[in-house]
Amino acid sequence: MTRLFEVTKRDDAARLGKLGWRGRALATPHSLESKEDLELLKESTIHRAEIDVAIVAAQEGTGTERIDADVVILAGAARFQEDPRGLTKALLGARKLANPDSALYVPALATPTNVSLLVYAGVDLFDSIIAEVKAREGYFLDADGERRFDEVSHRPCFCGVCNGANITELSFEHKVALASDHNKKALKEELNKVAEHIERGTLRELVEGRCRAAPALTALLRLLDNEYEYFERRSPIVRTATLLACSQESLNRPEIRRFGERVIERLRRRDGVLLLLPCSARKPYSRSRSHRIILAQLGELRQHLNEAIITSPVGVVPRSLEIMYPASNYDIPVTGTWTCDEREWVTACLTQYLSANTFESVIAHVSGPYRQICESTVEQLGINVVYTVDDDNVLSSASLQRLRAVAHELVDACSPARRDLRFDYMQDLADFQFGPRASEAIFPEIPKIGGLFPTYYASDRGRRIATITGSYQTLALTIEGARRYLPASGGKYCVQIDDFEPKGTVFAIGALKADPGIRPFDEVVVVNDRFIAVGRALMSGWEMQASKRGGAVVIRHVESR
Amino acid sequence: MKKQLVAREHMTQKPKPKMRGSRARGNTQFAWTGSDLLNGEIVPSLTMVLTTKGCSWARRDGCTMCGYNVNSNPYVQAPDIQKQFNQVIAHYGKAFKIVKLFTSGSFLDKEEVPIDVRDTILSELKDMPKVIVESRPEYVTPEICDDIARTNEHVEVAIGLETSSDRIRNNCVNKGFSFGDFIRASETAIAHDFTVKAYLLLKPPFMTEREALEDALQSVRDAAPYADTISLNLCNVQKGTLVEALWKKGLYRPPWLWTAVEVLKRMQETATVICDPVGGGSRRGPHNCGKCDRKVVTEIKEFSLSQNSASFTASCTDQMLWEFVLEFEEFSYGAPLVP
Ligand SMILES: [Zn+2]
Ligand SMILES: [Zn+2]
Repeated sequence: MTRLFEVTKRDDAARLGKLGWRGRALATPHSLESKEDLELLKESTIHRAEIDVAIVAAQEGTGTERIDADVVILAGAARFQEDPRGLTKALLGARKLANPDSALYVPALATPTNVSLLVYAGVDLFDSIIAEVKAREGYFLDADGERRFDEVSHRPCFCGVCNGANITELSFEHKVALASDHNKKALKEELNKVAEHIERGTLRELVEGRCRAAPALTALLRLLDNEYEYFERRSPIVRTATLLACSQESLNRPEIRRFGERVIERLRRRDGVLLLLPCSARKPYSRSRSHRIILAQLGELRQHLNEAIITSPVGVVPRSLEIMYPASNYDIPVTGTWTCDEREWVTACLTQYLSANTFESVIAHVSGPYRQICESTVEQLGINVVYTVDDDNVLSSASLQRLRAVAHELVDACSPARRDLRFDYMQDLADFQFGPRASEAIFPEIPKIGGLFPTYYASDRGRRIATITGSYQTLALTIEGARRYLPASGGKYCVQIDDFEPKGTVFAIGALKADPGIRPFDEVVVVNDRFIAVGRALMSGWEMQASKRGGAVVIRHVESR
Repeated sequence: MKKQLVAREHMTQKPKPKMRGSRARGNTQFAWTGSDLLNGEIVPSLTMVLTTKGCSWARRDGCTMCGYNVNSNPYVQAPDIQKQFNQVIAHYGKAFKIVKLFTSGSFLDKEEVPIDVRDTILSELKDMPKVIVESRPEYVTPEICDDIARTNEHVEVAIGLETSSDRIRNNCVNKGFSFGDFIRASETAIAHDFTVKAYLLLKPPFMTEREALEDALQSVRDAAPYADTISLNLCNVQKGTLVEALWKKGLYRPPWLWTAVEVLKRMQETATVICDPVGGGSRRGPHNCGKCDRKVVTEIKEFSLSQNSASFTASCTDQMLWEFVLEFEEFSYGAPLVP
């Protein structure tokens, strides 16, 4: 049973943890260096010992029985050094078999170059065996790849171990000794960097860079990205770090796909007039100069319009979700041209969005590649779109005037109801976070909206129902909001706890039942027979149920039922 | 014990011979000539592989590393075997000092080689100074040995012991007999004045390099009292075997040549150990780093003739790696650290 390992922080499938072991507290991800530790782990697989260690064979992970041990070892992992497909299957298989609060140890595989990807896939423990092997094969290893001894002779290494030493004169034995120290140091240093990125929630950005060191590593990341379900189950609902979409693989991030799916599957169907706008560098878009100018031009007309922003890599962002991660904070290299992958992805998003809703008319106030995407989408769907930018400049007075005129005309034609745009944000966030029609349960009548963009709050007869939080811009329910949501929830985003008053942090051991769909940082309702509470999840719901250690929910408010 | 015979073995793992044999009625048979050491003298030898219906054990169960069964043919009849032998003798003559009669199983198994054929062949070779036959221990019985001794007095019985550890022989080789069976067979053969050769297998599957080394050392020590010669076979990856399946999955690596050298050096005082590194230097065969393989293979062959460890002079940068592998391979939990 797991007693010694605890996950303290998550970033997708990657984790920071603590392995309390022989009076030490190893901070994971960690590379075991001493032979004594390796021997002790090996011993512990055979005899009952102070630490509970289990072995899984590298297979596809078809087994269903969860392995509950402090450390789970993926046997024979070394054979996947050059086999990213086999490695992907083996890693994910082992991670699925191992309990979430078991540390996964992948022996004899880590190098400074691949270790960030291995951590990204969900591995916690490593060793320096391959670092030592590579030294004896005549290689210096670094995060960006390996160098032969003769290359290092030519250009010395200036790390703290090598100190610029000229290795040309050294005997082979001495070169090996130096390389061995260098390689172990490089591995440690990279693990340190990886931990730092997990801390900040930016490991994905690191691995998208690291995987360029070798085609096999790029292949590994792409193969991992095919495992959408595995990563989505572990992917936080919001991040404070900005998503940097600097590579082709960025399009495959789980939160990008999840955002697109939720826009289609969870939001209310819209009708009337849709206004399509280009994205802006500044987020949220409505704070950008371009959007402020366009929106000012429309004035009160906005209350009759639906707005959506076309962007790479997020796809289509309804105005109300501009404050939701990842739409709220991402950055991309702006060159004025889009790659084929970007066009294809965004076209697919727009096609789905237009098909899922029933707009009577569409205004596209866009130019350049945005317009090309609109045109190719519309061609497929046979929808009538009015383009309001003729001179390639969305901010020219001609374009703006035309936009205003067209919007007027189309709104008059179908006279859609007037809406409170602030309530739009709250309703769509409710549906986006809690599922289709959640907003109807939480806001059966139009509430009173207060607060400044984007931290609006809703109240009914003086009782606060929900607030958009300043930190993550998610919709946080009050106890009143939770009471409204709970009967209609069907258990979604709910955590059933043991009979105690939830305060501070509720630990996984206290969670009896949790909606497996809960993701880290989701707003959740915590209940037992006596109490109802609201809070923010620290881990996924399925993980709360399978784990015995670690914080599950940070409680914000609690009341008697 | 007896150390009178030091044969240079061309046949420890039966390499794919060049097509020098002739064909008899659809049964492929192979034969070739070579030089072997007999009583300190280099003498010409003739080796023939007779196609039979194959190893009785391979038909029932089979060993993890043995792929010789592909050489067998279930329709072979007694006259076919006799004919193969006659054709080889007709082609090569009898001007040899050693003749090796190999099947892909047991020459002494009457199901494989019928008694009359066996006796005819052995009696035709009765003036040959040495006739080597291979057999599983269950066919080395007093009755069979009595029969043979009447026809030929210069027989050497070669038995594939593989290891003295019953646990390893059962779990890793799947040989289906015990060390006790081997001892009984050896004592029976010796009682009939035959000489005995034991084949040991260096690095069966499911073992680390160090376990393989230690097993080979212990096996030489254990087998020495019961064998005139010990032939160390370096496991190679043969088609259609479990070893091949493991190798393809990256779960098996043939032994390092350095490991073989270590066994030969350290056992020099204990027994006469010979070794022919079949496939040495190839990926499917025993190998080192690739740079030193050819030299080390040559030295191993030299040692087999000289029994003098002065034959071993090679050194290479990969020895540090080999030493590291010996020490750390167990911590990979089943995969070789280097290909
Ligand atoms: Zn260095
Ligand atoms: Zn070498």
